[in-house]
Parts: sequence; structure tokens; C-alpha cells
Amino acid sequence: MSRLRDHLPLPAEGALISPPEGDATPFEVFIQLLRGKPHVHAGTVDAVDSEMALQFAREHYGQDQACVHIWVVPRSAMLGTDYEHDVIWRSTDRSYKLARGYQVHNRWRQFRSKEDVKEYEKEDLKEHY
Amino acid sequence: MSVSASVDLKLDWDIQEDPVKLVPFEERITKGELVEPDDWMPHNYRVGMLRMAEHHANSEIVGALPEGEWITRAPTLRRKLALIAKVQDEVGHGQMLYRVSQDLGKPRDQMLRDLITGKTKYHNVFNYPAPTWADVVMIQWLVDGAAIMNQATLADGSYGPYVRTMKRINMEEAFHFKSGEDMVLTMMSGTPKQKQMAQEAFDRWWAPCLMFFGPLDKESVKTSPFMRWRIKTATNDDLRQRFVDRFAPAALDLGLKIHITVKDQDGMVTEKREDTEIRRNEKTGYWHFSQPDWNEFHRVVKGNGPLNKKRVALRRFSYEQGQWVRRAIVGGSDLPPLC
Amino acid sequence: MDKLPNELKQPLVELLLSVADDKFILGHRNADWTGLAPILEEDIAFSSLSQDEISHAIAIYQIAAGLVGSTADKLAYARKPDEYLCAELVELSDEFNWAIAVCRNFFCDHHDYLRLGRLAHSSYVPLAQLAGRLVAEEQIHVQHVDMLLKRLGHGDTESRERMQSALDRLAPLATGLLEPTQGIELLEAKGVYPRIEPAMFERWTEDLRHVAEASELKLQLQAPRAEAIGGRRGRHSDAFASLLDELTEVYRLEPEAAW
Repeated sequence: MSRLRDHLPLPAEGALISPPEGDATPFEVFIQLLRGKPHVHAGTVDAVDSEMALQFAREHYGQDQACVHIWVVPRSAMLGTDYEHDVIWRSTDRSYKLARGYQVHNRWRQFRSKEDVKEYEKEDLKEHY
Repeated sequence: MSVSASVDLKLDWDIQEDPVKLVPFEERITKGELVEPDDWMPHNYRVGMLRMAEHHANSEIVGALPEGEWITRAPTLRRKLALIAKVQDEVGHGQMLYRVSQDLGKPRDQMLRDLITGKTKYHNVFNYPAPTWADVVMIQWLVDGAAIMNQATLADGSYGPYVRTMKRINMEEAFHFKSGEDMVLTMMSGTPKQKQMAQEAFDRWWAPCLMFFGPLDKESVKTSPFMRWRIKTATNDDLRQRFVDRFAPAALDLGLKIHITVKDQDGMVTEKREDTEIRRNEKTGYWHFSQPDWNEFHRVVKGNGPLNKKRVALRRFSYEQGQWVRRAIVGGSDLPPLC
Repeated sequence: MDKLPNELKQPLVELLLSVADDKFILGHRNADWTGLAPILEEDIAFSSLSQDEISHAIAIYQIAAGLVGSTADKLAYARKPDEYLCAELVELSDEFNWAIAVCRNFFCDHHDYLRLGRLAHSSYVPLAQLAGRLVAEEQIHVQHVDMLLKRLGHGDTESRERMQSALDRLAPLATGLLEPTQGIELLEAKGVYPRIEPAMFERWTEDLRHVAEASELKLQLQAPRAEAIGGRRGRHSDAFASLLDELTEVYRLEPEAAW
């Protein structure tokens, strides 16, 4: 046992005399692991203001992995949709606004050889599909 | 994103939940969808989840104590840093799990007060003593190893915030476990005195680790709705078997002997004999082992373990000595605001 | 300079040990709070800062070890009590009194910030490079402890009284941080430990007083007597032998073993 801990005057048992204290308020913490990458939600700290929340966040969520930037946001400043009642993405056909809604490969085959189409498609921004 | 703090926090199996809500809720869980804080959930789901997260949080901050005692005496600079970081992680896990619990409706302050007045419990395994450095080694290897197995299944649960916290925690537990492995390997390739220390600590921690996963399934009554709702995802016996299958052969390979022990009131081993049941069943691949002393388990759960009183007293000391700080920082102030 | 002239070696080793010992012992004391601090979030932060202190100490021990042919671990664990050069302020037990813990860090962190800032301009290149990195991290400590001091000074009557009494109790010990190590004039003359204007004591007290005033706290610091001899010459408080005994308890079981 740490000597200091071992020689502590340990408190009496039983009910606590002090009144309940109440909690500080929650701040959401977003961390960025590399410059240029998006911030991701890491967790929550309780604090009395943003400055304190940021001090706490950088020593808690900022120390588990290499981290370059942190945002804290008071939860009370955040507004969210409701999974059950708020529709966000529509149910009607949205393929017209997605790249994958356009099947041009076979169309090109009417005009170009298989190899040429393949060569042409190399330049496609596939990650955006 | 707020949750009413006025929910009644007792389990009540007589409640008739609205089937219009309950049926789709259970369907979503069956599909493997996660439940989020603002979603409708059955009362007993909320309470069961809160109890589990609160118990887990309590266990983290009490679990910081046995190893915390050794920070001042770690034998090398690197081990000292690793131990501080490890104990700090336990506090961090406690913080994250209290946050999950707060959002289920119970204030953190209330949870801390319930813990130190004995209204709520923490994990049994932390009521055992860590009298030598080798106990730190065994805690990090065996107890953290057991915790990872348990938490890996909890990360497959149904409550979103808890599942995400579990994944984060498991990432950190992996460092604890590897550091434990590194230390046990170092000690078992060290001097005769180090090997003896390791064996004695292993003898103290093997049985508490078998008990870590909770009582035998046949004695464990209340799990079924929680299994259906995937608050709990594996049974105690399954997890215990997985633990033995991994750690019994590892211990034997390291040259450790697995003993059946008798302990005194302080948790120190007074008698030991080799566990002759330890062997691999070649047909099933599972390892046989002797059950620990379940009477001891029930004694410790009831608060009569070696260190129950001391652990709670230290938490209480921490709470009481910090009151003026929290009052000044969090509470109302009678001085002009900070500029 | 990349290579140190011989006559500077001993003075520099003593200076490095004084910096590293301060940090090591402070980190050792502060780390005992891990799991017991007043607020969970602050517990985590305070522990993180303790780890920094020890990590900084290790990096500085490594430079010293290179100069004397030893290792950081041997320097940390295997010296006699009178070979440690830390100041008495870091040796003191805070008895888990948060006001003492915060005020001690207040004195030490501001001092380390100035000290590392000077070393960051050292003519001895390896040291300057290291200190340059460490001083940036020390700034986090200063920010954090200033925040604590301000909030507790401004908190309520009780917290202000506790903080004031801790400051008053520690102030006489705190000036021991400025006790010079042997041969420091030579290091200053050669730019290994560059002088600053105004001098260390004035800069340090000005920084401290500025924050104390913003925290509604009073601070009285007496310039250290030039002839006072303490930690920097290996003379320590009674508490130090016991601290060291505890710190090395496991290490001494098998000093040659790996742990």
C-alpha cells in the first residue's frame, strides 16, 4: 500500500451527512487524429464551462491515441433529429442524384472496344460512387 | 438529447409495456440494431442497463485502488509510467461509464454516494488484497484478461452508448493486458525470488478470476430477459470456460502451477494443493478445472471479503476530501464570476 | 556546441539532475492521487500531468546518464539520498490535501516553464532540442494549474481560505526551487544555461503574482538567501529518506533483476 494511503484517517461508515451535490453539465468531445481528417465524436465530459471542458477533454479523450485537435460543445447547444419521427433520407427513388444511378458502362461498349472502355474508366472518380 | 432524471430506478416485472412499442423494440434488437438514449425503451431495459453500467463504473473506480497502491513503488521508470496510465484508464473508464449511466437517468453524484454508503455494489474481484508487486502483475494479466473476455461480449450488446464505450475501453484494456503479459513473462524468466513471488500472487488471483464471471449458470436466476434484450450476451459458465481455456495452458507453459487454495480472512493463502483436474479434454478441446469455493464468493458478495470495508472507506475518503473542491468549482459561488 | 567541454560536464550533470529530480519526485507524489482526486475528469487530467513530469524526468535523466555513463533507471532508483538534487518543496507529502497539491504545482510548473525556456536556448544543442519540446508541454501544465488556482480562488469563501493557507504554507519552501546548483555560474557564462533578464526570481514571482491576483489570492515571496543550502546540494527533509525508501521498495528486492 502506498504509505500515504495506508496511513489515512479513514472516515466513519454510515449515511452521508452532506447534502447531494448535483452534477456539472455535459459537453460533447470531438477529436481529430490527423490534420485534415474529420473530427469524430469521442465521448462526453462534465464541466461548468467550455474552457474547463476543453482542459478535461484534452487530458482524457486526447491522450488515448495521438490526437491533433479537439472541439468541445455544450450538449445544451446541440439539437438533433429523432430516429422515430424525423425522416431525413427520402424513401422515393433518389438514384438520379447518385453516380451509381447511371449505368454508362454498357452504353460506352456500343461505341468503344472493351479495352478502351476499361482504360477510360480508370480515370473515373470511383470513390465518389 | 436529455433524458428525464425522474425515472423510477427500480426493476418492476409487473409492468405491462405497451405492445405497440415493445414489439418493434424487440424486433429491432433481434435484428441487431442498437438502442439510443432518446429511443423508447421498456422500463426494465432502462433500469437493467443502468444497473449494469453503474455497477461497471463502480467497478472501474474501485478497481483503480488495488493497483493504485503500487504506483509509488513501481520498480522501473517505464513500469511506473505504465501503471499510472493503467490506473488512470480505469478512472477514465469509470468516467465514461458514469456518463452512460447519467444519460439513463441517474446523477453521477447520486451514484458515487450510493457506492460509498453500500447501496450499490462493485465487482467482487477488487475485494482481494494486492500485497506484492507480483499481484499487480497478476491483476494486469489475469483480471484484465478476464475483463477483456467479458467486455468483448458486452461490446456485442444492444445499448449504443454502452457498446461504443465498451469498444473504446477494450482498446485500452488491450494495452493493460499486453503490459500484464510482458510483466509476467519478465518475472517468470527472472530470478528464483521473482518466480516465487509470481507463483504466490498467481495462487491468490486464480480463484477470484474463476469467480470473476459470476455464479454458476444454474444458480444465476435473473438473466433471461436481459439475454433476450442483449444487455447480457454470454453466460457466466461460457465465459469462465473461455478464460480457463486460454489461461490454464498459458500458466502451465510459463512454469506456474495451478493450485486449489484455502485463504484466511485477509485473503492470504494458508493451504494449497495442486489442482489435479487441470487437463485438456482432447475430444472437446476444453480444459477441465476445479470450481472455486463458491461459499467464499457469496461471503465476499455480501460484504465480508478481505477488503470490502477498506475499499469503500477509501472511496468515501476521496469523496469527502473533495467536497470543498466540487462545491467551489461546480456548486454555486458567492464571489464574483471568473473573468 | 554538440560536444561538451570537460569542465562543464559536472556542473551540467548537477543542473540536469536538479531539473529531473524535481520532476521525478513531483510526478511521483502527484501520481499517488490517481483514482482519488476530487472530480473524475480532474483525476484523469492530473494523472496525465503526473505522467508528463515523469516522462520529462526520464528524457533529462537520459542526457545526464549519457554524460556520466549510467542509465535513467539507475539515476532514478539507485542513488543515495544525498545524491538527489531535488528541492524540498517536491519532497513534502501533501497528505491528500488538494489545496497543497495544486499550490505546489503552481510554484513548480511556473518555475519549470522558465527553467526549460532557458534550457531551450542552451548552447549545448542536444539539451536545447529536448528542452524546446518539453517547454511546449510545460505550458499545458501552467495553463491547467492556473485554471485550478483561479477557479478555487474564486470559488467560495472556504475554497479561497484553503488556497490562501496552502500558498502561505508553501511559499517559504517554494523559493528553495531557486537554490543554485554547484557551478551554475560557469554554465551561465558559457550559455549552456543562458541568463534571462529580469532574473529568474523576479520573472517567477511576477508570473506567480499575476495569476494569484487574478485568483483573488495574496502571495508573499522572499528572495532566497544566497548562503542557504538545501536540496540542490543533496541536503533533504526528513520526509525524503522515507519517500525514497518507498519509491525503491520493489526495485531493491532484486536490484540486478529485470522487472
